[in-house]
Amino acid sequence: MSRVSERLPLTGADAFLRAFDAETRRRNRADHLSQIVLRLGPGFDGAAFERVLAEVVLANPILRAPIRRRSGIGAAEYRLDLAHREPGPRFALHESAAAAPGGWGEPVALPALFEERLNALHPRGRAGLLHADAVRYADGRTDLALTWLHMLLDGWGSERFLELLAACHRGKRAPDDVPAADGPGTPPDVALPATQRERGHMARAWQRWMSDLGRHSVRSPAGPERGARQDLAVDRFHFASGESERIRDRATTLAGFLTPMIFYLAVAIRAHHAVMRHRGEVPESYVVPLPVNLRPKGSEGGIFRTRVSLLWFQVATREVEDLERLLAALKAQRHRAIREGQIENGVAAMEYVRFAPSRLYGTMARRALRGELCSFFFAYTGEFCPGLEHFFGARVEDGFGVPSVPASPGSALVLSLREARLGVTHVRQRDAWSASELALFREQLTRDLLG
Amino acid sequence: MSDGEWTPERLTELIYRVLRDDLLTPDGDFSPKSNLIDSGLDSLAVTQLLLAIEEATGIWTDESLLTPENLETSETLAASIHAHVSGL
Repeated sequence: MSRVSERLPLTGADAFLRAFDAETRRRNRADHLSQIVLRLGPGFDGAAFERVLAEVVLANPILRAPIRRRSGIGAAEYRLDLAHREPGPRFALHESAAAAPGGWGEPVALPALFEERLNALHPRGRAGLLHADAVRYADGRTDLALTWLHMLLDGWGSERFLELLAACHRGKRAPDDVPAADGPGTPPDVALPATQRERGHMARAWQRWMSDLGRHSVRSPAGPERGARQDLAVDRFHFASGESERIRDRATTLAGFLTPMIFYLAVAIRAHHAVMRHRGEVPESYVVPLPVNLRPKGSEGGIFRTRVSLLWFQVATREVEDLERLLAALKAQRHRAIREGQIENGVAAMEYVRFAPSRLYGTMARRALRGELCSFFFAYTGEFCPGLEHFFGARVEDGFGVPSVPASPGSALVLSLREARLGVTHVRQRDAWSASELALFREQLTRDLLG
Repeated sequence: MSDGEWTPERLTELIYRVLRDDLLTPDGDFSPKSNLIDSGLDSLAVTQLLLAIEEATGIWTDESLLTPENLETSETLAASIHAHVSGL
């Protein structure tokens, strides 16, 4: 029997995402992967990167450990003791004859290879999923993408992972120099009540909250799940620094200095609404989950595993037409959810996912919302890797996370900052959006952001 | 809330206590003059703080009133809330 120190439990969110991955594999013939992209200046040392990446993976078995249920039926765990049997990370440096990336004002064209990686179906499931690709252009500039099974690293953790790699390269950290929270036996980020009765009460409260979302119909850009092959495309654009400052001021004024994500969420809903209205498919409501980082305040915070809960928002279409009214509705819902303890309730509910058959939860969620999971995925992640100026010898010109999204709802929007510029990353199911819809989407988004 | 009940000093004490005891895990040097962002105040904690203030005082302070300057310390936050309430 393996020792406890050789096993690492999945977080509840990990288990939730594992269920997502299982459903995506079964129905959409892809894994539920995430990616982080760095756009680097000349000088990237690919050989050093490959070496350090291998050292870090070797020192952190979770990066390739298989997942097993205890005794075949218990809670799923990372089996650190079996990691050595699995392949290490894969890295390839590709020379590209394509035009080198332009400046900040130019349209962003990312290598098609990165989209291929995001849509991959790995025959062996999770094993060996940490995949790195560098694409080097004739002028020496390089695009780098790391792709992994989403549950391995959340957005915050993936940025810290990049920082770990860079620090190891500079000799500032050892490959195993990770926060204590990443080790076996450490307490969870959120302490739940001791009794199953209390935990069950919290989980049921969350389930009722979720069930209530089904009172009004939802329709996503890709429509209900139809078994389409996942074929995600990634669009990326930035605002100039002056425009970005104006947008940030507007977000602070309308939503608050520490809570600008409510402004960005409102803008994202209205951009989707513009497209649905253009299609003549306006739903009764829009439903969007917002990730909440659970790492304890003031703690170093674990890098690996997903450490999030979800706040869910539902707004009626009539509330979407007016930006200020929409902001007020989103703020009120957020306050109510926090007051009712829904973040903690979500943690309790997702804990049960660790024990249940993974297929169950996706099915339940889609049934509750009549075939839809939500209207789209959204996140605002703030400044990307602040302080990370260079990466393996090259200047970091831009960096951003690329979230995955199932073929339905077929849309994920992430906003982040780098070098005082607001960047927008839109991941979408390719055949669910026409060119004119994408233009309308961006036009509405820009109009609301700038005011 | 009336000015007679909630002075800036009492608000400062309330904010400081809630942050220290319930929302943040500050070090031993945390005081009403400590920088709140540096002490770990984030989007969730600030909303939990506003909910706690509402529970104690009956007044809701919208997040949009919270500028970087107002969020500098417990004292500046208390002063801004007090000024807002006084102007209602």
